[in-house]
Amino acid sequence: MVWKSLYWEDVKEGQELPTVTRDITPTTVVSCAIASRDFMPIHHDRDYAQKAGLKDIFVNTPTIYGFAGKYLTDWTGPEGELKEIALRLMMPCFPGDTMTITGKLVKKYTDADQHLVDIEFTFAVPLGLNCTGKGTIGLPTKSSA
Amino acid sequence: MNQELHEELKALVGVEGPRLEALDEVCQPMIRHWCEAMQDGNPLYTDEEYAKKSKYGSIITPPTMLLTWSMPPLWPPREPPSGPLDQALEKLDKAGFTQIIIAGSTQKYHQALFPGDRVSFTYRVESVSAEKQTALGKGHFVTTTFTYTNQKGELVGTQILTMLKYRTDS
Repeated sequence: MVWKSLYWEDVKEGQELPTVTRDITPTTVVSCAIASRDFMPIHHDRDYAQKAGLKDIFVNTPTIYGFAGKYLTDWTGPEGELKEIALRLMMPCFPGDTMTITGKLVKKYTDADQHLVDIEFTFAVPLGLNCTGKGTIGLPTKSSA
Repeated sequence: MNQELHEELKALVGVEGPRLEALDEVCQPMIRHWCEAMQDGNPLYTDEEYAKKSKYGSIITPPTMLLTWSMPPLWPPREPPSGPLDQALEKLDKAGFTQIIIAGSTQKYHQALFPGDRVSFTYRVESVSAEKQTALGKGHFVTTTFTYTNQKGELVGTQILTMLKYRTDS
């Protein structure tokens, strides 16, 4: 398998990232929570979640991070280096939801020897926005290739 | 919020919590399990041949796994909490704000983590808000900064976490 990389020179401010969707099932919620070593009942016990005021178990924050990291590095290729991800969490993502991720490159800049881009992204679910976020990634440059 | 609770919480702000060690060293099986659940096919995390030829020279953990290494044990449970964050959450619990949800978070990734690395972390409660009415119920926002280092004491990453400690509107 050949892994392609985006180069810093090839991206533009205002550029849209591809839209990505994922159908969330109870298995998604539970497998991701356990993989992140999160045993809080609210992510695997529906009765508990409902007593806490939610309709069902829901995707935990580390999973949102995992999905965000994947969304960004799937777009950049494996040479994209995650520097920072900031999330503002809103509606929970429940089993049965389709999660739709969109992103836009909002800033392209350098910092010392790093060539960076800021991506603003949103995760949408049927109830509204699951989260909004910003990721900063370092990209390789053609001159360093 | 009642004055006593306010004063007790204020006393916990700015206090550095204990240093806690990750339960497991960074390891390939846990990385693979994460990638399997997240459906993340980045070869740096799971393809040894690819990763060896990369600038890292080896498989690295997904940076977004940062929190995973610091999660508390399911069993046996850790000794009774003694850190300012646990104490703040306990006090809010006792005051009736028994539920918790994460409102926001910023993670910064300073250095790669490799299989065999041992993560430890410390934290500091930065602020506890006044009581707010939210869509989930009444609660307080608690903001905490976590600092993660490896076994050499090198900074691996940081996280600023804002939690909402709330009670449901009945």
